[in-house]
Amino acid sequence: MEPVKVAAVQAAPVLLDRDATIGKVVALAEKAAAEGARLVAFPEAFVPGYPDWVWRTRPWDATASALYARLLDQAVVAGSAAADVLGETARRLGIWLCVGADEREETGSTLYNTLFCFAPDGTLVARHRKLMPTGGERLVWGTGDGSTLDVTDTGFGRLGGLICWENYMPLARAALYARGVDIYLAPTWDNSDVWVPTLRHIAKEGRTYVLGITSCIRATDLPEDLPGRAELYGGADDWLSRGNTAIVSPGGDLLAGPLTGEEGIVYAEIDAGRARACRQQFDPAGHYSRADVLRLTVEATPQAAVSFIGRDDHGEPAPAGGSAPGPLAG
Amino acid sequence: MITVNPLRPAAPHPGRWRGEAGEHMTMLRVAAVQASYVLMNQQATVDRVATLTAAAAGQGAQLVVFPEVFVPGTPIWIDTQPIWEGDEDWFALLAENAVVLPGPASDRLAAIAAEHRVWLVVGVDERDQHGATIYNTVLYFSPGGQLAGRHRKLMPTGSERTVWGMGDGSSLAVVDTGPARVGGLTCWENYMPLARFHLYAQGVDVWIAPTLAPGDGWIATMRHIARENRMFVIGVNPVLHADQVPAGFPARDRLLPPGYLDRNGPWLEEGNTVIVAPGGEVLAGPVRQREQTLIADLDLRDAVIQRRHLDPVGHYNRPDIFRLHVDTSPHRAVSVTSNARRPEEHHGGPDEQRIPDQHARS
Repeated sequence: MEPVKVAAVQAAPVLLDRDATIGKVVALAEKAAAEGARLVAFPEAFVPGYPDWVWRTRPWDATASALYARLLDQAVVAGSAAADVLGETARRLGIWLCVGADEREETGSTLYNTLFCFAPDGTLVARHRKLMPTGGERLVWGTGDGSTLDVTDTGFGRLGGLICWENYMPLARAALYARGVDIYLAPTWDNSDVWVPTLRHIAKEGRTYVLGITSCIRATDLPEDLPGRAELYGGADDWLSRGNTAIVSPGGDLLAGPLTGEEGIVYAEIDAGRARACRQQFDPAGHYSRADVLRLTVEATPQAAVSFIGRDDHGEPAPAGGSAPGPLAG
Repeated sequence: MITVNPLRPAAPHPGRWRGEAGEHMTMLRVAAVQASYVLMNQQATVDRVATLTAAAAGQGAQLVVFPEVFVPGTPIWIDTQPIWEGDEDWFALLAENAVVLPGPASDRLAAIAAEHRVWLVVGVDERDQHGATIYNTVLYFSPGGQLAGRHRKLMPTGSERTVWGMGDGSSLAVVDTGPARVGGLTCWENYMPLARFHLYAQGVDVWIAPTLAPGDGWIATMRHIARENRMFVIGVNPVLHADQVPAGFPARDRLLPPGYLDRNGPWLEEGNTVIVAPGGEVLAGPVRQREQTLIADLDLRDAVIQRRHLDPVGHYNRPDIFRLHVDTSPHRAVSVTSNARRPEEHHGGPDEQRIPDQHARS
């Protein structure tokens, strides 16, 4: 197992502007790759931004509805031209590129809080939809299912992760530990003081590297034409998130960060072999589990509200003997 | 016998604040005792529990918590020596001073709880009456002097596995003290997500984490766990300086070999006691390298109010995806079938009734 450099990018999206934000992803990924990073990770719902207004508006106000409509329009669809730009960037730079996005199905109107991971060959290898949004987020995002709790082998460690307060779901974490996660991504909006202790706990619980990646954005970063901008947002001292991006070792020690109050890229050298060796002390899915007492089952079947027989999801005749497309098809 | 519970006085009845509109809100004063044990001396260490509990009760504490295996202390040789090298006498001392249920030590601890009318939680090295395996156990005594709960650590860590056996799922129960439901796990058991979840699902307002773990990483875990289940967390450690190892301790020189203290410092137990609020904020501590009893007033409403944000076993759970199965049956090594009437002494006599069913000896 070779040690590699990884990057966690703390930045401001161009809120509700998908293409401009993707432009930022590309530029920052190029910068991190030039520094030698083999994996570059971006914050929760970075493209086209976290719907911060759910904490500032009354739920069904006209402003909230206008913002939602724009978010729906600017969301990322897997397999679309916008998503292809991300895949192409990963391929061109030869990196693992992980980006949080507001996602929807091509024909769908429900948004999901999704973490995309593209391999260095440009393919979308993982798409995790957050299982449970928090508070006001529940008015904007739907819930993922158990089919996207996968861990991907990068060759320099097994990559997985959970989004924001999903990291407070012990059973979801246990599922990733059982998959052998070595590099654990925790894209988040939580920029409180208590978040960093959580990153450290997870690192020590899973004996895994943890990358906490947070947006850093204040009102002056917001586009002028954002619906409700003057009504909801102030000036330079009005932080939507100050950020707290950090990278933690499998022993729970901070390797880099937390970075707060500024955009920047946080780097660390990681060695998955060390994470695995560290599990001599503690292995939540092995010698420190008690399978005779505590046993978790995970329903990993994709949940589809409607299944078509004889047609695929796009209405085309299903190929004879063909199977339904998997969750990453598109 | 009707016992008076100081956490639930008879008049006016404050009740459980939940669901009883118009009743009083409930505060709970807790004490986390960071103290030194008298190494491998059951009686002298129980004396310390008595003194320190009296002091905490004098400050109005209603729940008094002592560290992991406080009685009669940590088998510290497991990390100062190669495994099984010259540890015979030390292990014999541990077995001799271990707490047997029921027995004189548990009787005294129960009496201390009753005398001061407190809930008393104490970590002990425990063994079965005729057993030679030591368990890392936490005992819960009620203000009425009853043994209300017993938790045997499910999994020891590293070298601990050479002195402690493993508990089973029968001792993973939460104790209802009246206003607060109290439960917890021991030391690195706190890193077992499934065990935590099982306890969360029973409803826990105050989490007790007796431990030996030093350092900031442990504090991060205490804060994370508080925030994960939105409950109060009491992390409680012993503190022991090398000079506090009794002068007459067998092979005292070998216990702390030359160079060991140079490498590791003079604190065999550094302490790390802390009390955390349901939002993850530190209320008291961490305190290190000295004896100190941390006192905090817990507003039990916070544990519920915070769960509107996150409730890992309720609205922030996904039971359609995750299903945890727990075997809470006692794992007994031997199951005896016989036509003969079971001899009464088989379960150790009438005192056995003081231990709740789920805690019956295996």
